[in-house]
Amino acid sequence: MKPRLAAISKTSPRIRETILEINNLRKVFRINGSFLTVLDGIDFGVKSGEMICILGRSGCGKTTLLRMLAGFLAPSSGEILLNGKPVAKPGTDRCVVFQEDTLFPWLTVKENIAFGLRGRTTDRKAFDEEAERFLSLVGLSEFRDYLPREISGGMKQRVALARVLILKPEVLLMDEPFASLDAQTREEMQNLLLSLWENLSHTILFVTHDVTEAVTLADRVLVMSKDPGRIREEIHVDLARPRKWEKSDFLFFSRKLHERLRD
Amino acid sequence: MIKEENTIIPGPALQILPWVIPALFISLWMIVSETGLIPTYLMPHPFEIAKAGWIYVFANPGDAPFAGRFLDDAGASLIRVAIGFGFAIIFGLPLGIMSGRLSLVQKLISTSINALRAVPGISWLPLAMIWFGIGIKTTVFLVAMAAFFPIYLNAAAGARQINPLLLQAGAMMGVNRLRGTFAILLPGAMPHIITGLRLGLGISWAYLVLGELTGVPNGLGAVIMDARMLGRIDIIVVGIIIIAVMGRAGDQLLKTSLKFCFKSARRMS
Repeated sequence: MKPRLAAISKTSPRIRETILEINNLRKVFRINGSFLTVLDGIDFGVKSGEMICILGRSGCGKTTLLRMLAGFLAPSSGEILLNGKPVAKPGTDRCVVFQEDTLFPWLTVKENIAFGLRGRTTDRKAFDEEAERFLSLVGLSEFRDYLPREISGGMKQRVALARVLILKPEVLLMDEPFASLDAQTREEMQNLLLSLWENLSHTILFVTHDVTEAVTLADRVLVMSKDPGRIREEIHVDLARPRKWEKSDFLFFSRKLHERLRD
Repeated sequence: MIKEENTIIPGPALQILPWVIPALFISLWMIVSETGLIPTYLMPHPFEIAKAGWIYVFANPGDAPFAGRFLDDAGASLIRVAIGFGFAIIFGLPLGIMSGRLSLVQKLISTSINALRAVPGISWLPLAMIWFGIGIKTTVFLVAMAAFFPIYLNAAAGARQINPLLLQAGAMMGVNRLRGTFAILLPGAMPHIITGLRLGLGISWAYLVLGELTGVPNGLGAVIMDARMLGRIDIIVVGIIIIAVMGRAGDQLLKTSLKFCFKSARRMS
């Protein structure tokens, strides 16, 4: 295993290598014989260990973008390079946390978390230890034997997070994962994500329509416009963490993002 | 497992509930027989049935007509059902799953299968007798033919309705096609598969009797047919009751063993 997990110190200089490159990406859907350009001229790079939020209103194509990065959808033109290699199909180097509940209902919390690990290791003890480690990382050790239908929405998303973190992906793709949670749970989950990110230094692409969420999480926010979906602006959020929404500099950024979303 | 507590009816009463209808039925039967409302040549007294049943199951063979034939008949019938149902599973499950997932396969076979399905099972009987003669092969063929359709259709429905996000989640976690089939597709389709298997097993019994009516020497259907020719209505009723009991027990056994073998059967129904 590559030493991806080795924590990159938070104090280290922010100049890191670009691991994900998106070049002039375009996606056209054919609907009832007519063509609809959903995304056009998408161009950006993601540096290792960066937390990027893609912010846009519904229908701007942000989910489509994420699905192409995941390899579920092929671009109409343009390219996606991960470590210089084109992305062609889904793989464990780019894991997705979906908005919907996509846990396997016939597996317990622990079995869900360990699902992707099967076949990677034959050492049962190491397998079990790894599963337990990620169970406790997301704070679900006591719920290991519960079934998905027996736990809350927030807990389900914790499981969804743990089952991909355990695979140690290069890039974590998150598609509005906390959108259907209540405000308190969402804040909890954001804090959990930030602490995991600080400990494990993943590269994260986080899609959201929520300005506060974007300012809370992101190093960099890519604001998208609609029809066709483009990246209108890139905003660096250079605030120290933890960020509190009632602070004036936080409000400055959220006001700015609100404006960009509006016009 | 969370189960809603029933607060209206106390627990022990719930245990009795399934037996209420059979008990009522037998009481009614007793009354009708005792009062002579229905003549005994149409419907014998329950005690007569019980006696005939006792002789059929427990008496020494040769002591009386039908005496002690039960084990032989039940064994023969069980083997026929098992083989026929087995064939139905071997063909029905994989074809159903493939047809539910692969539109090419679905286009290729679904029209033909639905056409065949429209043919009443009994129409196969003359053909099967010419092909296979009288005996186990004909019966197995009829059972397999009948049980195939519910198994196929439900497996296809189960595979079709599976949440595509579950398969995508699997792909993103590095699951290949083979593992995806066994670790995601089959468990995801399990509730439908179980329904199909239960319906298939149920209809297996129906076609078993049909196959055995053709003049095989043993089997539960054969007993009923023999009894009809000898005018032994009590034995006919005994045969019917035994088939009902075995059918119910077989369904229970099927459910229990599926739950024993598969997590998905245990945890999703």
